[in-house]
Amino acid sequence: MNTVRVIELKKSVYESNNKEADQLREELKKGKTFLLNMMSSPGSGKTTTVLGTIERLKDELRIGVMEADIDSSVDAEKVAAAGVKTNQLHTGGMCHLDAGMTKQGLADIDTDDLDLIILENVGNLVCPAEFDTGAAKSVMLLSVPEGDDKPLKYPLMFSMVDALLINKIDCLNYFDFDIDAVKKRVTKLNPNLKVFEISAKTGQGMDEWADWLRKEVKEWNS
Amino acid sequence: MHEMGVVLNIVSEAEKVARENDAEAVGRLVLQIGELTGVVPRYVQDCYPGAIENTVLAKSELIIEIIPGNGICKECNKVYNLLEQDFKCPKCGGEDWEVLSGRELMIKEIYVS
Repeated sequence: MNTVRVIELKKSVYESNNKEADQLREELKKGKTFLLNMMSSPGSGKTTTVLGTIERLKDELRIGVMEADIDSSVDAEKVAAAGVKTNQLHTGGMCHLDAGMTKQGLADIDTDDLDLIILENVGNLVCPAEFDTGAAKSVMLLSVPEGDDKPLKYPLMFSMVDALLINKIDCLNYFDFDIDAVKKRVTKLNPNLKVFEISAKTGQGMDEWADWLRKEVKEWNS
Repeated sequence: MHEMGVVLNIVSEAEKVARENDAEAVGRLVLQIGELTGVVPRYVQDCYPGAIENTVLAKSELIIEIIPGNGICKECNKVYNLLEQDFKCPKCGGEDWEVLSGRELMIKEIYVS
């Protein structure tokens, strides 16, 4: 009869992804490319925000976009029409991107001549927060119709991002959305969080958001 | 949907360690799931049999240890369970806390033969 041995691992399940993400981040820093991880629920306005961001920054920064969806090229087509290098990733049912998948996606874009790559993550408030993609900074969108209680229901997402875009502020009159309550809730979870109030559709607040991003990219690539 | 990906990852890590230690079979895997991770232990248990099929863990038992989501009140230093107390200090009512435990998702140990 074989003897039973106990092997102590104490190995974090996220450890290998975290290592891979750190490696990727270092490579991108060396190559002077800023990867922005953009997350939110489906339908919050990520693609429209990406388009508005490109419009404001394309004259100064060379931009690429990676779209991640379960299926369809709808987002990639919209972005490609704006004239930037775009890659559509189909995650094959996976509800989030991790460092490995991000690396694969980047391999298909020539990152050498790009200053900024926006990664539009899978529409999901739960899983993407747990997986480091190797991004320099991460941002999430919360749109007015979704409700001001989302920071209470999905604390992890709100606590690990660097910036929050409250989108669709042109609709504030139609919904019971308390912006001050959201700001109070997220500041408690994440004291250093930068909050921007925008409407990607009307352009309100987009300049301030683009200014912040431009500054971050220039700092990273210097 | 999501727990399956996590479980497959755990199984492949355990397989690697079993190989490195010349083990023929894994009899038990002990997994620590922190209360604050959002990983649902029941779903992990449900996914396990499918994930271990045709691997060196095929006859293994999964033991899950839940690590409590504890925090310390920054105002009065009371340690309390963040989820049970709804992130509010039961002693002074303060809402300024720091997480002490509960974020872990860790393979603690495996039993091999």
